[in-house]
Amino acid sequence: MRILSIAFLNFIFYSFLIIFSLIAFVNLGSLIILLALFLPQRKVYKFLRQAIRWYGGVIIRILAFPLIRLDYKNYGTNDPPTPYIFVCNHRSACDPFLMAVFPYEIVQVVNIWPFRLPALGIIAKIAGYLSVREIPYTEFAAKTRKLITKGVSLAAFPEGTRSRDKSIGQFHSAIFRTALETHAAIVPVCITGNENTPPIGSPFLRPGLIKIHRLPALTWEEYRTFSPFKLKNYVRGIIAQEVLAMDKIK
Amino acid sequence: MTEQEIIKMTNEVFIDSFEIDPAKLLPQANIFNDLGLDSLDVVDLVVALQKKFSVTIRDDERVRTIRTLGDLQQFILTIKKEIGK
Repeated sequence: MRILSIAFLNFIFYSFLIIFSLIAFVNLGSLIILLALFLPQRKVYKFLRQAIRWYGGVIIRILAFPLIRLDYKNYGTNDPPTPYIFVCNHRSACDPFLMAVFPYEIVQVVNIWPFRLPALGIIAKIAGYLSVREIPYTEFAAKTRKLITKGVSLAAFPEGTRSRDKSIGQFHSAIFRTALETHAAIVPVCITGNENTPPIGSPFLRPGLIKIHRLPALTWEEYRTFSPFKLKNYVRGIIAQEVLAMDKIK
Repeated sequence: MTEQEIIKMTNEVFIDSFEIDPAKLLPQANIFNDLGLDSLDVVDLVVALQKKFSVTIRDDERVRTIRTLGDLQQFILTIKKEIGK
């Protein structure tokens, strides 16, 4: 009975997802093309990234409910002003959508696969998302530096690939080198409960509560003396500690 | 320079440049999975090793085959022997 109800909820979710995506792509796409004719490029990019946030927000907060519930806690209320570098642990393919909880203009640093998604991949490319494994580091550094200078925040999953268990993989240092160069505040983000949304090897979402904890930002004054290696492991340690505590609380 | 000296000096690079716990510096430790270095950290490692041993290894193709700390120590030993010839 439970399996049937999960299957039914998945059917409802994916049906609405397809309908909503078609409507969103057609309408927002047309609007962006129209805006591009009259507004400066910077404003069009800002609108496009905002549109992606709305799209992700509707999916994770409305369409996925009641299958998936979100519990977002912001412990960074005294953080310095934007831009930020959000550094997240990575357990699920849905993680990029969860970045919609952050009310900022964000460019995500992704692995290769999101760029290969139909339609979404093209939009991500147009929005300036960065496929870190497909560009040389010098190009990545230049692009992230430019974005931070323009006030755009970055979101990265430095484990690279989603973890197959609840452990946190080794971090890649590229995004931390950007932080050291640009002096942007690093915001550790801990995500749990997303392991089965969907589980590895299956497209079907399992019911669950996804917890997202935004921890207080680490400012440049706090990490300025760190090497990239020390910085990545320091942030990894902060995230690992919080994730462990979050996993213990059901 | 003896093998023991090379092992000691290689380990010092990891301790000084990366603040890695000496207890983790085992010959079988994988530089990536166990010690946590990535491709960019390896560039920093090569620079530190060059400085420590006064050698040029940046363009040496053999660097690409190194996986463990033991591999690296043996590589440095080979390089030093080649220079000494």
